[in-house]
Amino acid sequence: MTATALLPVFALMTSLTAAVIIFALPEQKHRLRTFVNLTAAILKLLLVGLMIRGVFQGKAYGIAFPMIPGVEFVLRADALAMLFAGLSAALWLLTTVYSVGYLENSPNRSRFFGFFSLCVASTLGIALAGNLFTFFLFYEMLTLSTYPLVVHRGTEQALRAGRTYIIYTLAGGAVLLFGIASLHVLSGDLPFRPGGHFADMAPDLQMPLTIVFVVLIAGLGVKAAIVPLHGWLPVAMVAPAPVSALLHAVAVVKAGAFGIVRVVFEIYGLETAGALGLLSGLAAIAAFTILYGSVMALYQSDLKRRLAFSTVSQVSYIILGLCLAGPVGVAGGLVHLVHQGVMKITLFFCAGNYAETLGLHRIDELDGAGRRMPGTSVAFTLAAFGMIGTPPLAGFITKWTMGTGALAAGMDWVIAVLVVSSLLNAAYFLPVLRRIWFGEQKDPWREERQWGRSETSAWLLWPPLVTAGFLLLAGLLASAPFSPLGWVELIITREVNL
Amino acid sequence: MITASLLLMTVVLPLGSLLLAFRQRWQKVYLYSLPLLPVPALLAGLNAELQNWLELPWLLLDGTWGLDDLRQSFLLLTSALWATAGIYAIGYLNTRKLRAFCVFWALTLTGNLGLIISVDLASFYSFFALMTFAAYGLVVHEGTAEANRAGRVYLTIAVAGEMALLTGLLMAAQHADSILLTELPGAIANYDRSWLIIGLLVSGFGVKAGLPFLHFWLPLAHPVAPTPASAVLSGAMIKAGLLGWLVTLPIGELSLPGWGNTLVVLGATGAIGGAMLGMMHIRPKTILAYSSISQMGLITLMVGAAMANAAQTATLLTAITLYALHHGLAKGCLFLSTAIKMPAERRSRRLVWLLIGVPGLSLAGLPLTSGAAAKLAMKDALKPEQYDFTLAEHLPLIMSAGAVATMLLIWRFFWALHQSVRTGPNHRCTWLGWLFATGCSLVAVWFLPGVWTHSGQPWFVLTASEGWSLIWPILIATAMSIGWWIARGRKGSGVD
Repeated sequence: MTATALLPVFALMTSLTAAVIIFALPEQKHRLRTFVNLTAAILKLLLVGLMIRGVFQGKAYGIAFPMIPGVEFVLRADALAMLFAGLSAALWLLTTVYSVGYLENSPNRSRFFGFFSLCVASTLGIALAGNLFTFFLFYEMLTLSTYPLVVHRGTEQALRAGRTYIIYTLAGGAVLLFGIASLHVLSGDLPFRPGGHFADMAPDLQMPLTIVFVVLIAGLGVKAAIVPLHGWLPVAMVAPAPVSALLHAVAVVKAGAFGIVRVVFEIYGLETAGALGLLSGLAAIAAFTILYGSVMALYQSDLKRRLAFSTVSQVSYIILGLCLAGPVGVAGGLVHLVHQGVMKITLFFCAGNYAETLGLHRIDELDGAGRRMPGTSVAFTLAAFGMIGTPPLAGFITKWTMGTGALAAGMDWVIAVLVVSSLLNAAYFLPVLRRIWFGEQKDPWREERQWGRSETSAWLLWPPLVTAGFLLLAGLLASAPFSPLGWVELIITREVNL
Repeated sequence: MITASLLLMTVVLPLGSLLLAFRQRWQKVYLYSLPLLPVPALLAGLNAELQNWLELPWLLLDGTWGLDDLRQSFLLLTSALWATAGIYAIGYLNTRKLRAFCVFWALTLTGNLGLIISVDLASFYSFFALMTFAAYGLVVHEGTAEANRAGRVYLTIAVAGEMALLTGLLMAAQHADSILLTELPGAIANYDRSWLIIGLLVSGFGVKAGLPFLHFWLPLAHPVAPTPASAVLSGAMIKAGLLGWLVTLPIGELSLPGWGNTLVVLGATGAIGGAMLGMMHIRPKTILAYSSISQMGLITLMVGAAMANAAQTATLLTAITLYALHHGLAKGCLFLSTAIKMPAERRSRRLVWLLIGVPGLSLAGLPLTSGAAAKLAMKDALKPEQYDFTLAEHLPLIMSAGAVATMLLIWRFFWALHQSVRTGPNHRCTWLGWLFATGCSLVAVWFLPGVWTHSGQPWFVLTASEGWSLIWPILIATAMSIGWWIARGRKGSGVD
């Protein structure tokens, strides 16, 4: 085997090996575990970085072998895969750093980090999967490896949330499997391919294909938290902050959204999906989800729950972008895959910092937190403004690109959705910021922990600062070649065939 | 090269100053550095080669910065006002929440200067948003219930305005297929739904410019901010809305009499209604805020006329620029004067009152002041025979009524200031900042590029020769004020 075949496998193996080693390590080997974790994360980031460079230069990485007759296991690094893999690798490293600080001295760290690594391995597998079958394998592995993370605390509430989570996601997985199997019956094993497979389908296939599409989207929509399949997401908030951060930014919701991208672009093809009338339906659902999530977020008094509903809303931007079916609109949707991830992980890191350092969970407890924790609060502020879509931050690039795409596609109503959603985002984020920066602290902090002169542990402080830097740069340098937007434009010219 | 580095420094210096916020003990240094932050902008305004765009292809969605005639004037006004208000701030602020004030000051300044030098839409909108949101910190700085309420109203209306702008700019840019502001007016003019874009842009920028019915936040927010911040809010930032109109609306591209009528109605409402509402207040800063609405109303008349008749654009733009410069500097001075404590000694007291009085009378158009020049330029540009939209014939009447209303409101301000002013010593920097601002308003304004002459004659001389047309509104308003004062004296105090 050549290096081009091995690179994706190596990247995948880094997290898997880390998981195995960590499971084997005794609980108290704290330093060694951290070392293994960080080494694996850095190594993976390097490998993914190498692949990104290679893909940019036009190299193809991949490996394929039959699993059972007629079904292949395919790993393949294309530009779209690298968008998700790059995001996952970069944020894994930061989340690992964060988790080390967050879980300091708490029990069952070995279990936590083991499943954490498995979860990230699954995410990379989802990114690199070359056909629906491979995608499904990693998709289910993700479900199973995140469950222990959601219930990590072992409380009654956590177990209940875990139950909801596993019921939703396993049911979603079953529906997805049914869809994949149906598609297999209809037309055999389909690798992901730019433009899809059904550009000139037989007319009698139209009906079954439409049904299968609905089934596939329903299966993927559970993880992507499309209304009404989103019920698990706000409940899963009891998970530790780094888990929420990863779940909302990279792993679970993104796996769903990424799957929808693959199905629409590379199984059906945008044109076919449009011709079947599937995109307008999907757009309507996405638009509804965007508004519904924002309205619900408005009513939450718990910070993490508010962020959770915000995720429901923001992930559907990606899906709405695809439905615009033009090069610009699609770019807006795809780039949000990265932008939403970076912004949301920042928000969750910060929420975790407030909880860990000051014991604050509710929004009305945050008065004056900015003075006590300026670094965290600056990061939170940038991310919140990014979510609102304020220029020059990442969220603005999304909104602007999608808006231009919507107008180009003649779908003017999307502008109204974007504007209303921005207003709602402002309505639920700005009051939080007002409390943080301008509120007067009324009561002593609930459970304050001191870290000398620093506002909190460096392990907790730096990850949100770095991601906040990313979301600033992703907007500010959007026209630079390796910005998320630049990469998405590469994907569009190479792989989307518009 | 020099132009490029000055333009970059215009934004980089105030942004970089945020480093001084890292340590609490540097806050005093930070405060003293505030007047220096707009200096690169001032130099850029004085030295820059015009139309020499600075390309920043990696920035946002492909950035372009630079200056033209219009932007140069706005940059000079803005940087001069921020610099003088910065000096004043050193004397005005106490140590409470000093660091926060400096941070919001620097951010708002960055936004205000940056939007002027932006030639591409994404930079412009970014800086505009930065200014809008950072100014919230200045509005609520005092932390009183009143300030928080004003802040809430401000932010709500501002966010709505931002959304109108976003929609309008998106549509315009998509139609223009360009991110350059210079391409927008032409594209809007050729668009079959131009009314929608124009409506969105007029109202989106109108929020900042204090357009009637979008102005509610302004008399609440401008006065509650610390005085130097009020000065820049009402003198400089309000002009960002105007600049937004001038660079995006299809002025000079085609004649839209409908929009001319609409804007003239709004302008007249603002000019006269703003003054009338202001008369009902007793706090000097609130009166000044209403006066800003009133003055922006007069400017709106000119913007309306420019929309109505493309042929008049050049004359109108000159008049608008002159008016904006004059109003910004005069209003800045007046705001700064509200926190000046009077010297105990009688002769110096008179001198101070004189120096407060002249910018006030300048607003009303006293001959030999910048206000007189601005008023004459406006009258010249708004001669009804040049226009054929319905309301054009009423323009002289509106302007005269506006002039009387302006002077009435200024008298009201003088009276209110007289009631509230305290005697005592001022910090050296308070004096200095106020004197600089007054100097700019009375003297420096004549030396700005493009201001000096009108049809071959110096403005200064022209305003003297046109004396009577300028003086009669002042006299009428003065007579009315004296009448009111006497009547009030008879009825006894407590009218307010």
